[in-house]
Amino acid sequence: MDKSNREYRLREVNCPTGFNWGNLKAELKAVWESNVKDWKIEFAYPVSFIRQLISPLVFLLPFLLYGIALVGGRYSENLAQLVGSGDVVTFIFTGYMLMGFIGTAVWAMGFSIRRESWFGTLEAIYVTPSSRLGQVLGMALHSTVHQTLGTIIQLIVIYFTFGLALKIEGILPALGIFALMMLALYGFGIVISALGLILKEGWVVSDSLYSIMTILSPVAYPLIVLPTVAQQASALFPTAPALIGMRSFLIENYHAEAFGNVFLHLLALGAAWILFGVVVFRLTDVYVRKRGLLKKF
Amino acid sequence: MIESSYQQSVLRSNLFVVWNEIVKNIKTLLAYPTIIVFWAIFPIFWFIPFILQGQAFVGGLESANFAQITGSGEYVPFIVIGAVLNSYVNTLLYGMGENIRKEAYQGTLDYVLAAPCNKAYVLIGKAISESLSSTIFAISQLTISVLLFGMSITLGVMVPVFFIVILLILGLYGIALIMAAFSLMYKQSYDLSESIGYIFYIFAPVRYPIESLPTWAQIFGKLIPLTYALIIVRSFMLLGADLSTVYLEVIALLIIDLALLLAGFYLFSWMEEKTRKSGAISHH
Repeated sequence: MDKSNREYRLREVNCPTGFNWGNLKAELKAVWESNVKDWKIEFAYPVSFIRQLISPLVFLLPFLLYGIALVGGRYSENLAQLVGSGDVVTFIFTGYMLMGFIGTAVWAMGFSIRRESWFGTLEAIYVTPSSRLGQVLGMALHSTVHQTLGTIIQLIVIYFTFGLALKIEGILPALGIFALMMLALYGFGIVISALGLILKEGWVVSDSLYSIMTILSPVAYPLIVLPTVAQQASALFPTAPALIGMRSFLIENYHAEAFGNVFLHLLALGAAWILFGVVVFRLTDVYVRKRGLLKKF
Repeated sequence: MIESSYQQSVLRSNLFVVWNEIVKNIKTLLAYPTIIVFWAIFPIFWFIPFILQGQAFVGGLESANFAQITGSGEYVPFIVIGAVLNSYVNTLLYGMGENIRKEAYQGTLDYVLAAPCNKAYVLIGKAISESLSSTIFAISQLTISVLLFGMSITLGVMVPVFFIVILLILGLYGIALIMAAFSLMYKQSYDLSESIGYIFYIFAPVRYPIESLPTWAQIFGKLIPLTYALIIVRSFMLLGADLSTVYLEVIALLIIDLALLLAGFYLFSWMEEKTRKSGAISHH
């Protein structure tokens, strides 16, 4: 068909390419649609939706009840000596609040691509004229909002059951730290989703990484109780500096145990993890397409 | 005479079904060595944060308040025992429910259910293979914990503990059968398994003594077989108690096991009949 033909022009699809406003807008639309798709799937299974909403609370309660059983109340003399504040409920809550977001990075993002493979839609997504990373980010957006809802439920229940002593004026800077942490976690999630493309039993790697990251993050204990090597290793992941930074803004008398300027630390980690994630994802993407591994699961 | 040899042949065929189901499941497991390594080692990582939390909160390896509630202030073995027994819940509950679903995903469920044998023996085979793998993983986790945390375990204690673990497994079989039955009809067994897992995690004394819960939650917790198994095993291993001290808990565990098994077998047969009639077996 001749290009000057009217019918040809009607059939022509203009895909914006390169780094320009039109392309960015198209990619953002793909991210948004991927997020909407996940919400639609989520609402199709209401029992699963509710179960996942209350899961942050279910996993927090054992830490709280165990902590209270250990010290016989909500005040620990030893914890006060280590970090300046002995309120175990507030300490654990501010730590565990972030744990679910590690799950967001590892499970929701890491398995977004793998899930498409299980549903049989991965190849269809792969041939759409949009970035594969956009799909992953769309699912990350859905998961972040979902996790935030779960955390709000967690906050309400814990506040009314146990009571929380948080500094209101510290909420804004704590949210800033949280945003920086999420940026780095997204980078981490992109790496995991790349692994999910190659590994047949990728959940084993994801769960293992999640377990290691949980230990290296000072969720229910201060970083100081970890061996020195583990303390140094925790600096490579965003959760440890974010937890320490947020606690120093939210808890009265809390003194930060390590890391110096948390904002700069998290900015550096965010840039490094995102760069590393994008490079690994690109390389894996090319590799699996060349080898025809997409169909295998 | 003829009837007796017929009965022998039926028994042999049923045992053949059980044996082959075990062999099939073990072969499937052996095909994924990374999964074996994962279940043998990684559950330890899930309870290490609780041990570190203990060190941060009490500044040592013993808690005076724990001693007041449980009779032993050593929280490390308390946590280890809770985690190891809870690993049976993870593998048996999810394993059994998902096993049926896996047959559906692999396209073999129709053949299994159409085979000329009693389906109860297929389920027994699945349950025994899940128990075998769970026990191997539990032994591995316990051995690593003994080496890492310096727990002392004697053979004399392990014999009654083994007996209690069998009773726990029987109770979990009952729950798994109920879930397998729902899985046949309603397919999404995963959410059901997860929800029951949540209930066990909160209401059974896996991470903390049951006395830490409010009274209504303690009553609810006492309907769960894991609660009794944990109380008995901890009494044997941490307090050096014998059977005469915990016989009431053993009887309670036996009664709960019996009720769950009966309910499980009845529900499974009923659901199987219902799905056959409605043709819902091949849906997934």
